[in-house]
Amino acid sequence: MAVVIVIGLWVIDEFTFNTYHKEHDKLAQVYNRGKNLDTGEIGSFPSTLYTMGTVIKENYSDYFSQVIRATWVGNYVLTNEGESYTQTGQFIESEALEMLSLEMVQGSYSSLDEMNAVVLSETAAAAIFGKEDPLGKSIKINNQMDAVVNGVYKELPKNNSFAYVKFFANWELTEANEPERFERIKTVWDDWSFQLYVQLQPEIDFETANAALRDLYASYGPSDSAEGYEKRGLHPFAYPMDKWHLYSEFDAQGKPTEGRITFVWLFIAIGGFVLLLACINFMNLSTARSQKRSKEVGIRKTVGSNKKQLIFQFLSESILISGIALLFALLLVLISIPWFNELAGKNMQIPWSSLVFWSSLIAITLVTGLLAGSYPALYLSSFSPIKVLKGTFKAGPYSAVPRKVLVVFQFSVSIMLAVGTVIVFNQIEFSKDRPIGYDRNNLISIQMNNPEYNGKYDLLRSELLNSGAVEDMTQSSSPLMGVYSNGGGSISWVGKDPEMSPDFGILRVTHDYGNTVGWQFLEGRDFSRDFASDSSAVIINEAAAKYMGLENPIGSFFNFGNGDRAEIIGLTKNMVMQSPYQPVKQAFFYLDYDRVDYINIKIKANAITSEAIATIESIFAKVVPSAKFDYSFIDEDFAQKFESEERLGNLAGVFTILAILISCLGLFGLASFVAEQRTKEIGVRKVLGASVLNLWQMLSKDFVILVLISCLFAVPIAFYFMSQWLQNYEYRMEISAWTFVWAVTGAMLITLLTVSFQAIKAANVNPVKSLRTE
Amino acid sequence: MLIQLSNIFKWVQQGGRRVFLLKDINLEVEEGAFISIMGPSGSGKSTLLNVIGMLDVFDEGKYNFMDEPVHQLKEKHRSALYKESIGFVFQAYHLIDELTVYENLEMPLLYKKFVGSERKALVADMLDRFNMVGKKDLFPSQLSGGQQQLVGVARALIGKPKLILADEPTGNLNSKQGEEIMALFKQLNKEGVTIIQVTHSEKNAAYGNKVIHLLDGRMEKK
Repeated sequence: MAVVIVIGLWVIDEFTFNTYHKEHDKLAQVYNRGKNLDTGEIGSFPSTLYTMGTVIKENYSDYFSQVIRATWVGNYVLTNEGESYTQTGQFIESEALEMLSLEMVQGSYSSLDEMNAVVLSETAAAAIFGKEDPLGKSIKINNQMDAVVNGVYKELPKNNSFAYVKFFANWELTEANEPERFERIKTVWDDWSFQLYVQLQPEIDFETANAALRDLYASYGPSDSAEGYEKRGLHPFAYPMDKWHLYSEFDAQGKPTEGRITFVWLFIAIGGFVLLLACINFMNLSTARSQKRSKEVGIRKTVGSNKKQLIFQFLSESILISGIALLFALLLVLISIPWFNELAGKNMQIPWSSLVFWSSLIAITLVTGLLAGSYPALYLSSFSPIKVLKGTFKAGPYSAVPRKVLVVFQFSVSIMLAVGTVIVFNQIEFSKDRPIGYDRNNLISIQMNNPEYNGKYDLLRSELLNSGAVEDMTQSSSPLMGVYSNGGGSISWVGKDPEMSPDFGILRVTHDYGNTVGWQFLEGRDFSRDFASDSSAVIINEAAAKYMGLENPIGSFFNFGNGDRAEIIGLTKNMVMQSPYQPVKQAFFYLDYDRVDYINIKIKANAITSEAIATIESIFAKVVPSAKFDYSFIDEDFAQKFESEERLGNLAGVFTILAILISCLGLFGLASFVAEQRTKEIGVRKVLGASVLNLWQMLSKDFVILVLISCLFAVPIAFYFMSQWLQNYEYRMEISAWTFVWAVTGAMLITLLTVSFQAIKAANVNPVKSLRTE
Repeated sequence: MLIQLSNIFKWVQQGGRRVFLLKDINLEVEEGAFISIMGPSGSGKSTLLNVIGMLDVFDEGKYNFMDEPVHQLKEKHRSALYKESIGFVFQAYHLIDELTVYENLEMPLLYKKFVGSERKALVADMLDRFNMVGKKDLFPSQLSGGQQQLVGVARALIGKPKLILADEPTGNLNSKQGEEIMALFKQLNKEGVTIIQVTHSEKNAAYGNKVIHLLDGRMEKK
């Protein structure tokens, strides 16, 4: 029952995602959807154009009451009186506070109205200002933008899409920070750098709004691109906030997939199963005890109680038991919820004051009690008193059949869960062990989010190399665990299909990139300072060579469309930089010392890591004193990519153990029932010379057969579902037969252990006792 | 000498007091004897039978079975001994409901590790001898009480035991069926099988050649 409550809380938590916002059913983010002409797949993405915001604001006010531009959520360094703090934040237009119905602790919904205004979450305010009053304090964002704290809002609950955002800054601040860029962006239709949130007008629904948005490009887009847009079927749509979390992914047809919602349903199903199994076991055990109680029933009946009273008696007993179970369950939940929160990455609490919570608990208790008590109640009360008292009462030979079916069912579920868990973990291990094409050990990366870095790189590099702690260092446009630039639609090469609109991962790096990350060349060479011509050279990965259809790519040229071209000088093994489950995307690397935002440092292998980090930090503090030394280890970043899978695996593991435990209880119940039923037979056999071993074999055999039958059910079903699950991963393992062999052997051993207890107990009973005829 | 009981005591602790089930039993049974144990309810007849059958232990005294000291034997040895030499017949027959007559008869042989062909032969012999060939595929519930007890006796005999212990074999039968069973016992006894039976009825006791009276766990001297 505790399981059911925890799962219930989890499910509620998932379903109430984002309901913090008053208008959550009216809020949406504008997505775009269009066909990739190469693959034919329809891609859906949340990025929008600045211009689209303008167009929607001006022309769609009948549909949307609010249209809010925002940047991507990112890490920014906030500096207050020389102290720096990294906080996650977002530049957003000022009406957002009201739209998101944030609870303002200080300030009001108009707090963000001033151009340089920032509102902080409570935790961010506490982190930066401590006990001081943050209002009116000035802070610097990334050491570039001067801002003033104008408000503090109450922390958002964890089950909220904006929970990770710790501050909102006025949109105009980022515009003012990069005036030239925005000047251009305001008119063009090619910079997909922003997000757009909208709120529907009260009487408009999403269907109407999205129907209207469909023609946005045709009506307002630049005429010279109209044909391309048409061909791709590109159109924006408002994606409701209520779906962001549970339906967060889109399939190749552009439809929302049942991503997270499947898990929610799965867990509901498991919760139901667990409760059902528990009820079944209760029934099993209580009917197994029926022979003992049959006497009581017989006596009660002869002294005049009727069937109704007996049924009432048994039902009230079972409801009482489930009521006691409820108390234990609550206690258990209370104890286990911090641990479960940790496991599931949630922040759930028992809603003590919620009427719905209590009434549903009571409902569950009643239903459980009735369900669990119904069979024994009806069964026991229908005994004929004379037979019972005479001792000739015997449960029919088939009375064990329903129990057997139940045991098979329980074990099927357990085995399926066990197989599933094993496969989830195997897949994680498999992906972790995937050859990644570079050496991620001792690598750290630092984001250069401070203008002070400008022009300091060479100094930083020479100081660091001199310190002896560092093997090598390099700059790159994205950290090793991501590829931030994609594109290359205008690139062509000899032999390119003219219809193809290429798409590459683009990485800008410096000369020492290869040496720092330890990439592996298949052909050609690394960038070198000895060749001045390398400033217009590219290195491609294996996937790119395949994508471009080049057998011998070295010496071929990239033509960039604007007349520039670059020679391909090297071919490297694929580097896993994005999802460890996906095939590596075609990518090319070229030298660029300006548009690089990350520093990657390889610490000497023989250095003590903590000392090396301290050395590096002190050099950073000397060279770029105002920048915050915020680093992360690449191998840790890599491990983080497995977080959600690991979480799933852990949850599944917990449920598996529970299911096995419950099944064993069921088995135990059946075993004791059977042993009781067969007491006499066991006695007879013993008198006739059966040894304990003989009897143990005889009693266990039946159960082993049952478990084998469950395996027969479980294995194909588990295989089917896990194959389906693995389809989510491009880079996946084969399901090995050993997994099933282990699961089956494991189930068998557990069965034997459980049953043996009863069997040996029954076999050791002195036959004189069981054969007494009174 | 088949059985030699000397100074057998058996008791249970009840509320701190010893309650004696058997008190100072001395009994010698020659091979080929037919002994009836009589006595009122609770006098210890069945307990004595169980002790003789080695199903139950005793607390004091000596018991030699075919010159083997039972009281000193290990459990394993003891069960091997009774498996080999003793057959049991019960008042409530105690046939196994899920098995046919044939399988019921075969069961003791399985535990004595007879091979398949031997078992077949022995069971067939037994069916023949008791005229039950036609009933071999029936289940116990399809037989009359007398027939069930017949199967019970056949099952006890199939291992060719030296001794048959019968606990009120006719208790659940009507008088005619009872007579048949007793006649059968008489016949078996003539063929050399030692029989010890517990009975309430003087008439049945008369089939034997010796009667022992028990009262409160003590043998009454006549």
